[in-house]
Amino acid sequence: MEEPILQACGLQFSYDGKTPALRGVSLDVRAGERIAVLGCNGAGKSTFFLCLNGVLTPTGGTVCLHGQPVGKKDLTRLRSSVGVVFQNADDQIIASTVQAEISFGPMNLRLPMDEVKRRVDGAIDYMALEAYRHRPPHYLSGGEKKRVSIADIIAMESEVILFDEPSASLDPAGAAMLEDVLGRLADAGKTLLISTHDMDFAFRWATRAVVFAGGEIIADDTPEGVFRNAEILKQARLAPPAMLTVFDALRTRGLFGADTPVPRTPDALVRLVQKV
Amino acid sequence: MAHTHKHAGVRAIDAFAYASGLNGWNPTFKVVLSVGTILVCLAADCVPVSLAVILSMGALIVRRGGLPLHDYIGLLGVPLAFLLLSGAAVAAQITSGPTGDWNLVLPWFSVCVTRASLRFALGLTLKALGAVSAMYLLALSTPAGELTSVLRRAHLPGILVELMYLIYRFIFILLDTHARMKDAAESRLGDRDFRTACRSFGQTAGNLLLIALKKSGAYYDAMTARCYDGGLAFWEEEKPFRPVQAAAALAYWAALVVLALAVR
Repeated sequence: MEEPILQACGLQFSYDGKTPALRGVSLDVRAGERIAVLGCNGAGKSTFFLCLNGVLTPTGGTVCLHGQPVGKKDLTRLRSSVGVVFQNADDQIIASTVQAEISFGPMNLRLPMDEVKRRVDGAIDYMALEAYRHRPPHYLSGGEKKRVSIADIIAMESEVILFDEPSASLDPAGAAMLEDVLGRLADAGKTLLISTHDMDFAFRWATRAVVFAGGEIIADDTPEGVFRNAEILKQARLAPPAMLTVFDALRTRGLFGADTPVPRTPDALVRLVQKV
Repeated sequence: MAHTHKHAGVRAIDAFAYASGLNGWNPTFKVVLSVGTILVCLAADCVPVSLAVILSMGALIVRRGGLPLHDYIGLLGVPLAFLLLSGAAVAAQITSGPTGDWNLVLPWFSVCVTRASLRFALGLTLKALGAVSAMYLLALSTPAGELTSVLRRAHLPGILVELMYLIYRFIFILLDTHARMKDAAESRLGDRDFRTACRSFGQTAGNLLLIALKKSGAYYDAMTARCYDGGLAFWEEEKPFRPVQAAAALAYWAALVVLALAVR
């Protein structure tokens, strides 16, 4: 098996020094993986992401990038390789125009100006933001701000991108846009970790699902493996995706063979039913 | 456009600045034009020049900037009211007995106005209004972010410039947050009478402080995540400086100076 691009080894963290937010979390992330990070609010997902990017310094355990432990001195290396798209775009956007905002990361990487411009232009193009280039963020809609906050990280060209609940507060069009972008990023070989409460999305999109509960990882499997594990779902207080429930009900009625692979999308299920 | 709030105060000026036809002008040039005109207006110290500045700046903002005249006059209303009040205070003198060209006798004293003091007050008010008009040319055509970048180029201390960037962004976040909390309070009868309204205001304001503190933490995390290490730097839009504008500005100032010398 190839070497993990990013590793967490026994990460521990506490915000107040008493109640632990992470209690020894270990995870190996390999290049090109699409990982859904599941778990209810307060399970430790956001804290884990901030530790992976080096914003929070874990009180125990280490983060390794390409097999090398990350110390205090090479936090910049970690932060430039692992980007975070924050849950609330308004907490992330700081500049007074879209172009200036997207340039913030590349400028901090101390890149030459030509390279900064190339990356900003590329990210603006990628997220279809050309019409908003000189607009101030406070005149953008929620979906547009989300696009800007994703462009922020695309411009940093990091290998791994962490999305903290990206679909929260997006309208259906915004959610479709997000899924399209995630698909393109995955196709381009980026390694993606997404924390989400949308089980249907996690089921159809992810190649791997990691479940957090009480500051620990309680399951790390394929999405199907996680969602078929009633014990884990109960412990993490998660509901299985609708697709799986419907498919299982149909299969119990003998509509499909026992070894039929579970369809990931409604369209795939419709095609399967039409074939019966 | 996403925001549907009423145009008022800081929002209005910001929105006008972005929409202005003068927004494409080089911001450094606009600062120089505005400050230069203020200086000429103050130094000339005569009514015709003040009037010329008031009218020409107003025309530039309304005609070239495309700001509706009605809105411009509305925006001038606030400083104008202030200037008229202080002008009246300058014109009037309080004396023990009735003197001057006009006077108002009151039980223990009288308020007097002389021709000279009236002329002085009028000149002063118009001069100040001219300066305000020139300032408005800048404020109503230049978004605060660009002004900040001009100050950065003028080598203002970095910490001040960075604070200005962040405060500018934060003003809108806090205004939005406040508007939402206010709506939520009102939807629960938080403004049913004066007492309740005061209480709601106090609680909203207290909450706003806590939210500001929390948000500043979230902000800092997000900046750190993008490799922030103590220096804010952006790729700023470069708006071309056109020599013909500089020539026009010089001609304009020269005309004002000639006008000042001619009336003297």
